[in-house]
Amino acid sequence: MNRPSSSPTIVPAQHDYFALEGTIDAQSERLLKELPAKVRYPLVRFDFAKAGRINSMGIALLLRCFKDIGCKAEIRLEGLTPMHTMLFKMTGVFLLATPVVKGTDAREGGA
Amino acid sequence: MRELQAVAALYQDENDRKSWEATLDGVPGLLSITVDHNLTVSLERLRRIRRTLRIVILSARLYPGEHPDLAARVRAVCPGSELLVISSDDASPPLKPLFVDDIRHLAIGGPQSGLTDRAYLPAVVSMLLDHRTWEIGSCLKEGTPVHSFQLDSSEDKEPLIGALESVLTGEGEEFEMLRQKGALLADELLENALYNAPRGRHGDRLFRKGEKRDLLPQERIVFSFGFDGETLALKLADNWGSLEPDVVLEYLARNQDDASGRDDDGGRGLFIIWRFLDQFHVNVRPGEQTVVGGHLQLWSKLDPAAPRGFHISNYKKEMQHEQTLV
Repeated sequence: MNRPSSSPTIVPAQHDYFALEGTIDAQSERLLKELPAKVRYPLVRFDFAKAGRINSMGIALLLRCFKDIGCKAEIRLEGLTPMHTMLFKMTGVFLLATPVVKGTDAREGGA
Repeated sequence: MRELQAVAALYQDENDRKSWEATLDGVPGLLSITVDHNLTVSLERLRRIRRTLRIVILSARLYPGEHPDLAARVRAVCPGSELLVISSDDASPPLKPLFVDDIRHLAIGGPQSGLTDRAYLPAVVSMLLDHRTWEIGSCLKEGTPVHSFQLDSSEDKEPLIGALESVLTGEGEEFEMLRQKGALLADELLENALYNAPRGRHGDRLFRKGEKRDLLPQERIVFSFGFDGETLALKLADNWGSLEPDVVLEYLARNQDDASGRDDDGGRGLFIIWRFLDQFHVNVRPGEQTVVGGHLQLWSKLDPAAPRGFHISNYKKEMQHEQTLV
């Protein structure tokens, strides 16, 4: 079975941008552990538009990742599906990162 | 004349009793007691029928809010009775007191919950009276095929999730959401059986989450599901029997009452399973078998943020072995 994994992509700008793809679970551990060290700016955008299923292990890894980043940058979440939103709401992810409503992200890119 | 009731229900007042009248209508020989601020008299009525009493239903308007000690007092009067808490979906109870009091059965009813179905609560009461375990076919339309698969290795997980998604054929947002919920539920159930259930002599986990593994020679994990066009039912059975009922309650309570973004594992998988199912069933025979499952409806109007009912038992009835397809 073709099983995509998380693959962060950094877009040069005055904020950091990570696009997560595919299933986020125990297999994503290495990638999500490495992300905090890649943060250079006080704003980090996470794009979930191409992310698929996120299981409880994936949630735990995201929480760890966001906690590590949260001490040095603000985190915004984009491209969330209703399912992601439901999951993040019930597991406390939104306490560490702010969901961006479509149409409001244009002003976030910063200078 | 001596009363022979096996089931009694305690309500806060007459309005409370009336709100449950229709949903409990099918429970035979139900003794309804309205407490009306006089718990002593109500408990005395229970005491009189304690020899035949098997199930005591407690309205959440009484317990744990108004009478936090009610479960303990009922148990003192009728020590052998099973307690079932019933709550409306607009005021579901906090789980911590239920966990502390070892309440294994919670039914949440009301217009959003799907428990407007008059058959549900009588079926639960009957299940408790007969010490029967939940069966996957019980919530599906008659004749709905139940697909069962015995796992050989962790590599079976993704194909099984694909097989589940393939039976959820349909267009529209509701079907898409059901497919996504079904896939996540299957993922959590399978991960739980593959990595949390296998334990060593001292309770230590034998396998690390995410590692590739074959099943041990005596190990048996069976994943079953069925969809009747409206209801999806899922069940996972393993032969470890390592999930303790009080641990299930602790996990639900911990994650329910503390959504502070803890980054440990801490039973979040079971919590997610509970929250995404409309009804959640766990049956554990320690050292022999754990069965986790339940159902969710295509048109479920349940608020994802709202707690769900649960039934956690340790009955000894043998699991029905569905036909294994792969």
